Amino acid sequence: MRISEKLLQVKELHKTYGKGQSETSALKGITFDVLPGEFLGIMGASGSGKTTLLNCIATMLKPTSGQILLDGQNISSFRGSQLAKYRGSKIGYLFQNFELLDNLTARENIVLPLSIHGENPKKQVAQLQKLAKQLDIEDVLNKFPSQMSGGQKQRVAAARALISNPSIVLADEPTGALDTKNAKVLMEKLSSINHTDGATILMVTHDANAASFCSRILFIQDGVIFHELRKKVPGESQNSFYERILTVLAQLGGGSSNVL
Amino acid sequence: MFFNFIKRNSRKTRKENGVYFASLIISIIAFYVILSLGEQDVMIYLKTVESDAVARLLLLIPMLYAVSLIFVFFLVFFANKYQLQLRNHEFGLYLMMGIKRSKLFAMVMGETLWNGLIALIIGIPVSLFLTELISLATSRLIGMGIIGHQFRISWVGLGLTVIGFILVQLVAMFILSFKMSRKEPVDLINDQKEETQRVLSPVWSIVSLLTGAVFLLGAIFLCIAYGLAILYLRSLDYKIFALILIVGIAGTFMLFRGLGSLIGAWIKHKSSSSTGLFVFTGRQLQENVLNQWGSLAISSLLILMAMVSFTYGISTALNNSDASSKTADFTFRGSEKEIVSVLKSDKLEPYVKEFYAMKLGHFRPADTEDSENEASGTFSWSGLLESVSSEVNSQEKESLLSNLSVQDRPYLISLSSYNKLLNSIDQSPIILGNDEIALYSDEEWSHSHDLLRRVLQSNPIVSLGDKQYKLTSKLYTSNVVADRAITLSYALIVPDDIYDNFTVSSQDSYLWNLVLNFDFVQEKGLMQAMYEVDELLNTSGLEYESYLSSMGRQLFYTVAGSYTTFYLGIMFLIIANTVLGLKFLMQQKSTRHRYSTVAMLGASVESLCSSARIQIWLYFGLVISVALISSIFGIWSLLETFPNSININHGTSTIVISLIVFVVFEFCYIWMIQRKSDEEIKKIKEIG
Ligand SMILES: Nc1ncnc2c1ncn2[C@@H]1O[C@H](COP(=O)(O)OP(=O)(O)O)[C@@H](O)[C@H]1O
Ligand SMILES: [Mg+2]
Repeated sequence: MRISEKLLQVKELHKTYGKGQSETSALKGITFDVLPGEFLGIMGASGSGKTTLLNCIATMLKPTSGQILLDGQNISSFRGSQLAKYRGSKIGYLFQNFELLDNLTARENIVLPLSIHGENPKKQVAQLQKLAKQLDIEDVLNKFPSQMSGGQKQRVAAARALISNPSIVLADEPTGALDTKNAKVLMEKLSSINHTDGATILMVTHDANAASFCSRILFIQDGVIFHELRKKVPGESQNSFYERILTVLAQLGGGSSNVL
Repeated sequence: MFFNFIKRNSRKTRKENGVYFASLIISIIAFYVILSLGEQDVMIYLKTVESDAVARLLLLIPMLYAVSLIFVFFLVFFANKYQLQLRNHEFGLYLMMGIKRSKLFAMVMGETLWNGLIALIIGIPVSLFLTELISLATSRLIGMGIIGHQFRISWVGLGLTVIGFILVQLVAMFILSFKMSRKEPVDLINDQKEETQRVLSPVWSIVSLLTGAVFLLGAIFLCIAYGLAILYLRSLDYKIFALILIVGIAGTFMLFRGLGSLIGAWIKHKSSSSTGLFVFTGRQLQENVLNQWGSLAISSLLILMAMVSFTYGISTALNNSDASSKTADFTFRGSEKEIVSVLKSDKLEPYVKEFYAMKLGHFRPADTEDSENEASGTFSWSGLLESVSSEVNSQEKESLLSNLSVQDRPYLISLSSYNKLLNSIDQSPIILGNDEIALYSDEEWSHSHDLLRRVLQSNPIVSLGDKQYKLTSKLYTSNVVADRAITLSYALIVPDDIYDNFTVSSQDSYLWNLVLNFDFVQEKGLMQAMYEVDELLNTSGLEYESYLSSMGRQLFYTVAGSYTTFYLGIMFLIIANTVLGLKFLMQQKSTRHRYSTVAMLGASVESLCSSARIQIWLYFGLVISVALISSIFGIWSLLETFPNSININHGTSTIVISLIVFVVFEFCYIWMIQRKSDEEIKKIKEIG
């Protein structure tokens, strides 16, 4: 019963790049859980291993050791068709640079994961309409990416990540390429989808503003988790959460010697 | 150190652009094959019998060579343009690291030279082997292995191949690197990004509306060109021909210009209900077509030209296989005394089996005294014409009727001499009944022979002077003389008294046929035997023609016709396919990130590979199918224009053979590109 409560379990995850002299340890034993419906943020300085962590969860990288369980299933044991099914249908992925296919229309981009998994997009028209409305991209559905603004592109990408009702959405600095206004719009949309539909989101960011939309934040430094912040459930305002994040970041910026 | 660097880089280029490299090798082979034509066994032999025509053909070869050089130049230019673009980032970094421009330039040139050298090292042995094979095959095909085969290397050809090939590469690379060297390092570094992030312009939808109309216009143009080709090309009017070319070419270009938006509309229509990578596949294809319509149209036209060339080449080659049958080896013209004295001389005696006079002459009204009797001086095909007229209408019938009607003074052949001829080739002699004569027609006019044989069954009547004669039901076609230069379209074999009556000829103008000793021919081979006798006769001062030269002439046209058209066809095909293949692979390379995104969204490697495979099929398929449809009409009008050189029976087999050759070639090529594309996709590392 306890297992089903935890959507994602990351246990003692290690990742080492390269061999011999050029060896770099990006992750040095990371353990944490994600509960269903959570909006979890991961913060850390550049080079602290955030992207590596996300890529391991997304099965784009093989961890050196440790386990990742999604719904109790060990994803590193996935092969071939299992892997393909996992990608795009059990997880959705949001990239910093959108990664929309620029020769497909927004609509085609959004339903691509569905058709890849052999589902008839016609059956999901309602879902598509709902997402388009939620993300305010109804007027761009028939446009090509080159005809959209950066904000619209990322929201289209978000719709694509959400279309197949994935267990979890992984987002790697989704606001990284957006201006503050568009970043705010995107975070509001994601946060509202998280609230209303209970979508689980795991987001990497180094933007405190974006992070303040999360319900919990893990801070990584040098490949290990070094701090955790939770939004106080009833009542804490976004602003006060933001202040707290800034405090931790200041500590982080001070260097690891201050921390322990 | 620098050299090792160059070697390493060029190895990388070869590995990554195997298709391009293979095309280079093929072009080397093609160069040598055409340049060494003059040294081929057949040609060396033909020079002895048909020196004029061979000289003219050999004059044509530099032109073919120049055209091929231009083709290969463009191939090298465009292929390397994209390759260098992909490497711009790398070059920019070198510059930033402080490598001098001149060094970079030397590096690019060095790589080109090194790759060219390797292509030559592979290509030249292959081309030597291939020319040997062609040489052997032609002498086999011509039969008898008489030409005598000898291993030859055309040093001039080899030299020109090497020089031309290297020169074209260096010039193309020089122009390209010159352009590159004028860019700032920063631009070079950023260049690649631009390439990978290339987007379709926002005015796309407006353009696509317009292009839909363009597509329709293109299709209409093509149809007009096809129609014109079928209706009017037969008359070979140059104005019409030019019109067809212009309309056809414009139509092809417009067709491909508009095709992209058509594919877009189709995808839009299908996308809401499609599964798998359909949309991705379709959009990739559409982008390819939209960005490269020009290359697609050019490739399509090149393939069309290749198809027409192949058909022409194959049919010429096939037509040779039923070259005229031999009746005599030599034919002399002159006075009986001289001829007989030479042929009976000790020198020639052992070679001669027999010789006989072949009496033939124009029908000439006997200048009889009774000039009041008009009828005695006339000739008419009357009955034959009537019988032919009553046959069903056909092209053969029309041409036969017009041919006969202009012949109011046909040739007459004396029965006795024709029987001697028949006897010498072991055929039973003609026996004419009372008031009977026989019809003769040269093998070259065989297109009308079926019709004539049918008509002769009813023994139609012709009138000679004031008498009427029945034609025998058998048509005689064994050549009256050795030389094909004298061809009698339709002539009459008549008893000797009638012959004497109606032809006025002096004994001096008789033709004499010589048949060589059979054992001698058997021993030496026909060609060699005739060649030896020819040497002897040369000094005799007699006027003569030989089967050798007649056959040589025939052979020459066959070899020259098929060789050059095949060569051109292969050149066209290689260029078209290489352009297509390279363009596709380049696009795939520059949209790598899309493949990895789609993989991230859950597509398996297999499905990505198969999507790319389908893209390749469709990409090539579009071009090929347009070319094939056009070539149906092209070949059709070719058959109409040259009905004599391509006989209809061979028409179908010719088309089938060219189709098979073509399809096999295309399959190999497509397979090669697909393998390359699979390789590229598997290289995208995120897919894991
Ligand atoms: N493909 C790779 N090969 C070698 N080292 C890498 C690779 N990717 C990341 N690293 C190293 O791993 C560490 C963590 O990188 P990354 O996960 O990208 O950090 P972040 O996303 O937090 O900036 C860094 O020191 C980085 O240099
Ligand atoms: Mg990162």
